Amino acid sequence: MHGTVPLARRNLLDEPRRLLVAAAGVGLAVMLILVLDGLWAGIRAGVTVYEDNVGADLYVAQAGTYNFYGASSRIPASTVDVVSGDPDVEWAVPVRAFFSIVDLHDRKVPVVVIGSVPGQRGGPWELASGSVPASDDQVVVGRVLARRHNLDIGDSIDLMGRRFTIVGTGSDAFMASFVFMTHTATDELLAAPATTSFVLVRTARPDAVRTRLEGGGYAVLDRDQLAVNDFELIARAYAVPMRFMTGVAFVIGSLVIALSAYSAIADRRREYGIVKAIGGHGRYLLGLAVRQTMMIAAAGLLAGAVMFLAGRSVITWVRPQFTVVTTGTSLARALGAAIIMGAFAAVFPARRLARLEPASAYRGG
Amino acid sequence: MTGRVSLARKNLFQDRRRAAMAISGVGAALLLVLVLDGVVAGAMRSVTAYMRTSPADVFISQEDVRTLHMSQSVLPPETVEAARLVHGVAWVEGLRYTSSIVEAPGGGRRFTYVLGYETATGRGGPRRITDGRPPGPAEALVDATAAGELGIDVGDTVVVLGQPFSVSGLSSNGTNIVNTTVFVRSEDFARLRGPSIAYVLVGAEPGVSATELTRRLDESLSGVTVQTRAEFARQEAKLVNDMAADVMRIMSIIGFLIALAVVALTLLTATLGKLREYGVVKALGASSGRLAVIVAAQAGWSVGLGLVVAVGLALVTGAAISALTPNLDIVIGVRSVVRTGLGALVIGAFAAMVPLRRVMTVDPATAFRRP
Repeated sequence: MHGTVPLARRNLLDEPRRLLVAAAGVGLAVMLILVLDGLWAGIRAGVTVYEDNVGADLYVAQAGTYNFYGASSRIPASTVDVVSGDPDVEWAVPVRAFFSIVDLHDRKVPVVVIGSVPGQRGGPWELASGSVPASDDQVVVGRVLARRHNLDIGDSIDLMGRRFTIVGTGSDAFMASFVFMTHTATDELLAAPATTSFVLVRTARPDAVRTRLEGGGYAVLDRDQLAVNDFELIARAYAVPMRFMTGVAFVIGSLVIALSAYSAIADRRREYGIVKAIGGHGRYLLGLAVRQTMMIAAAGLLAGAVMFLAGRSVITWVRPQFTVVTTGTSLARALGAAIIMGAFAAVFPARRLARLEPASAYRGG
Repeated sequence: MTGRVSLARKNLFQDRRRAAMAISGVGAALLLVLVLDGVVAGAMRSVTAYMRTSPADVFISQEDVRTLHMSQSVLPPETVEAARLVHGVAWVEGLRYTSSIVEAPGGGRRFTYVLGYETATGRGGPRRITDGRPPGPAEALVDATAAGELGIDVGDTVVVLGQPFSVSGLSSNGTNIVNTTVFVRSEDFARLRGPSIAYVLVGAEPGVSATELTRRLDESLSGVTVQTRAEFARQEAKLVNDMAADVMRIMSIIGFLIALAVVALTLLTATLGKLREYGVVKALGASSGRLAVIVAAQAGWSVGLGLVVAVGLALVTGAAISALTPNLDIVIGVRSVVRTGLGALVIGAFAAMVPLRRVMTVDPATAFRRP
């Protein structure tokens, strides 16, 4: 015969509905932490989707440019010739990039307009359907934009006073879709002929090319610099609210665990009084409280993982513009958060047990 | 003495520590919803500050362009003269605009709107200069909030559009969650970015309404979008709202679900520990409806007090966050509180169903059993 009674487990399982509701509450808090972490990782992964696919090593822009998104770099189109003249440059192409807002179905939809020269790099690198723009009134739109607003090949879209025909669907940026068109079309939209935003450069010797071009008064950025700067730009808007929400989720999780364990102990104070009356010492009772809160935390973690998987599927299905990425770090953070929640939450039930009088064993309800 | 006992309240608050944990939990869940709402409301307020405070009655932009944030608008300079000829126009002024980076002497950077305006009239400039004076040649006005964050003082040199500008003064209300604002002379802007203008600001003659002037300008000019100041601000706010709406909905749903779980747990624990008392009440002749009312009242107390806690916390944390992060304006409005309160009532009603069956089926004989 085993000489011990799993009091903490029996106490919790005595009222399975309470455990289920507590697990759901903690699980939702864990899910929120995982969703926020996942969105954050999604932003980080999505911010370089253009740079990761166009195959350029360097981006030449107007001096004072640090970003790809939202940058208002404007340099002469002839910069392409200057850059191409460098002996270490394999290829150099002009690309125009700017944000714009499209009104679709009474909603304001942010898009990243990319203008490239047909047949050259810098335009759509993959197509979900259709073909690349061949004339100045044709565009390829992101597939998320197309799906959300029921846009098909052959439909038209109005942008900055011009009507474009959709000839294909392609990639999306984070929370905004790309709209690919010809460079000439962007020249006309912005009334900025003979200019461009960036010259994309392919080279085997980026450091040497960078040094030479910077000497010419240009900003020369690589993929990693743009990634850091663009992420900072987006992070500035989202970082504080996201941190706040993660903090509140943590507090909620701790409170739910504490409330559940505390109630389980308060409702069984007579039994715990007996334990104390027959010699249950302080450390044993503290252990009981911690075991109960940790069990609830574990159940919450499990529930949170399941809810996160379900929630992530729902979010990305209903709102495909969001990318929720699961990383080892985010899982470890959720595990760590659940353990710390359990530890914090043990304080109230432990104090309740510590104050319990052994005489309560002989009292009524 | 009234002779009535509020069972719901006594049941819920008999153990004050438990009640405090429960109400704090509900409050924290609703706090999520309120603060997120406050962030969006604050962003709407700060993003629309420029147009709301502008002296212009009407704004003209490129066709299909109805906003300023994340937008590009290009108008030929002749649009200014064409607008001036329209009957009822008191004054017209072109505004140049683009987005860029402002770089401080210490190396700090902020994403910024750059506005080129006529310093002689100041109509397109900031409403308030808190320090210094309007910009002269190769000078710029930097928003005071961003200047504080970046350690910029009047007289310093900042880099905007890749060019050095001496800071002539500091303006206010130009920094929001994403970017700040830098004002330069229209001539300096044109020298760097060409002659085209982005928006045309129009003032109406006395007796001519903004709506009427909008109609006349719309009829007279082609290839443009004409909006009243109020409509321009509304479109800008709509942009913020539409961009935030999806995130808001996801987070609000999660916040309300958490509140639902916490209220359900509160009611469940408050009920399970008091089943004997419910038995007594039933033995004394209380109907099932009466017991249901007690549970519903507990739900009402939980969400009501949770909402009070949430509003209090939201006001305090909102003020603290805004103080620590000056670019983040958090506005806790009455509408948001009412909306959250209504949502909380709905979840309270759902949560009450969890312990209801247990209460309904309680055996009156429980009252006579030893616990």
